Amino acid sequence: MAIRAYADTGEITVPLIHPLLLKRAQTMQQEFSQLESKIAGGSYDAETNRKFSTVSGILEHLDRYNKDIATIEGLQEIQDPELMDDVQQELESILPNLMRSTTILQNKLLPPIKHADLPCILELRPGVGGSEAALFTADLANMYLNFANQMRWKHQVLSKHESSSGFVNEFILSVDEPGAYNRLRHESGIHRVQRIPATESKGRIHTSTAAVVVLPKFSDGDEKSLAADERSFKPGEVRVDTMRAGGKGGQHVNTTDSAVRLVHLPTGIMVMQQDERSQPRNKAKAFSILRARLAALERDKEVAEQKKLRTDQVSSTDRSDKIRTYNVPQNRVTDHRCNYSVHDVDGCMQGYRLGEIIDKVEEGEFEDRLQELIGHVGGGI
Amino acid sequence: MRISPKTIREARQISRLLPPLLRPTRSLEVATQELSWIKRELPKSAWKNAVLQRMNHTPLQYILGTQPFGDMDLITKPGVLIPRWETEEWAVKVLDFLISNSANNIRILDACTGTGCIPLLLNSQLQKAGIPHTIKAIDISPRAIEIANENSTKYSSTVEFEQQNLFTLKPEPFDLVTSNPPYIPMKDYLSTEVEKSVRRYEPKEALIGDLEFYTQLVHTVDDCDADNFIFELGYQTQAEHVKRLVSSEWTVGTLNDSAGNLRCVIGSKNMELNLTSLCNTIM
Repeated sequence: MAIRAYADTGEITVPLIHPLLLKRAQTMQQEFSQLESKIAGGSYDAETNRKFSTVSGILEHLDRYNKDIATIEGLQEIQDPELMDDVQQELESILPNLMRSTTILQNKLLPPIKHADLPCILELRPGVGGSEAALFTADLANMYLNFANQMRWKHQVLSKHESSSGFVNEFILSVDEPGAYNRLRHESGIHRVQRIPATESKGRIHTSTAAVVVLPKFSDGDEKSLAADERSFKPGEVRVDTMRAGGKGGQHVNTTDSAVRLVHLPTGIMVMQQDERSQPRNKAKAFSILRARLAALERDKEVAEQKKLRTDQVSSTDRSDKIRTYNVPQNRVTDHRCNYSVHDVDGCMQGYRLGEIIDKVEEGEFEDRLQELIGHVGGGI
Repeated sequence: MRISPKTIREARQISRLLPPLLRPTRSLEVATQELSWIKRELPKSAWKNAVLQRMNHTPLQYILGTQPFGDMDLITKPGVLIPRWETEEWAVKVLDFLISNSANNIRILDACTGTGCIPLLLNSQLQKAGIPHTIKAIDISPRAIEIANENSTKYSSTVEFEQQNLFTLKPEPFDLVTSNPPYIPMKDYLSTEVEKSVRRYEPKEALIGDLEFYTQLVHTVDDCDADNFIFELGYQTQAEHVKRLVSSEWTVGTLNDSAGNLRCVIGSKNMELNLTSLCNTIM
């Protein structure tokens, strides 16, 4: 997590937490004592325990924050010019701690992002630009694979679909790390590349795009999760098609024919899986993807409704917007949501500078959300 | 149907290993898929050889050495019938039925077991569900029993595999008899209805058969005093034959697979645990 530095102007500015957020933290004190008595009373369940640890974590940071603020106030009252150097030094040593606890507190106090603790599914598809877009899609897929490797996140390619000419037209990657959704959801959107494609003979720069969709992952997508996944739908809500060649089947045929297609009738969402040799495994994966897509759809709806409430806010996470440009001739990757550029396309594609960009986007989103929260509460509710 | 030169050219552009796979698979899409499985499951040094074998219609399952069945990957080698998805489908249905009816202490006999796919699936999942049971499985082929035992070790099952001829089997008490006997009549075996890969490489004794097997299976059911049975089949005449042979206390019905083909005949004379509830049609 990046720390905003306010201390570089010579005069020391103390980062303060918005009073509304502080108020929220103080109400947690009450909740804490309630939870404490509940746990002391011997009632144990995972949910209470989880809440307890979250709340006690927040209060611990609040405590630290209050102590630091008190120390700083004490220091600022000292007027003796002989001691000024010492005061300055002391202040400078406290400030980084204070900033850290401020950031942590703000992060913890904001209402949590839905499904933030889940693993995720990344779907990549080429946009405009023909075969060059497909090449770029494959490059992006590699970028995420590299990134997942560096983070030591367990991951697997759920499906990689190539057109008959060998170009990628769909790539689905599952990152099985709890919380990966919260980090990678910022990658949802249109990614644009500007470069001289390998397929270009006259040396012209092309612009192509690829679409990335990040979905929260609810189930493992294996035989064990299949039953639960199927149960999450009403009977008749999902049509399961298996692709079978005609003929007698059974002992007459031994070709592996394991593809499965699901159609979610109410929404028309269609999921096709054929990567596995086992039909039930393809079905399990397909159900896992279908659930993720439906959850994303629901989330989009909620976000849209929230936006309707706040008409002044222009959308910055809309999927139709391009979110990032990879300009190869200028060796520059720019994220358009936070206007942040990294001058290292290779480093980004190899994954080790991607985290830096996501940090910046997270920071921007955090500020937006803070604004929104404050605006919301200040708006008279 | 001939594969067009255009398709072959396209395939070669993607990978040199792809054109040979067009011969058994007949389509670029299936060939691409098979190549990706070969690349995923075999070391690079074995790819070329695998593709050449497949070009001559060797079943992919023999080349890769396994076939998924339920949550298992069963060992499949020449000399044993490759488990089919249709069998997996009905075996899972039987399993779900046994679990949801908590069929405690059920005794199961699987005849013509091959790789042991049916009993191994039932055994591993019933164990997980905590349902006590015993399963015996027989096959006439020593090779099949050898491979079934390998699979049994792989999944540490408690199934008892025995090399036995169904036609001379000594009666023992069982509650349920399952079987996927050879059911392709000779006339059809020689026709184009049977894939080249099946005809050239899979064991004949696991494929060629007709009514005689169902006659014997019904006798076995009677001798073992079983009150439920399910047999895989491929033809309506085979189902009708079974219906004719059993006495009137039996309810008999048929089950279709998800491709819509007639796949099983099921019989039951047990009012509480009645496997014919799985049937699409009662005869």
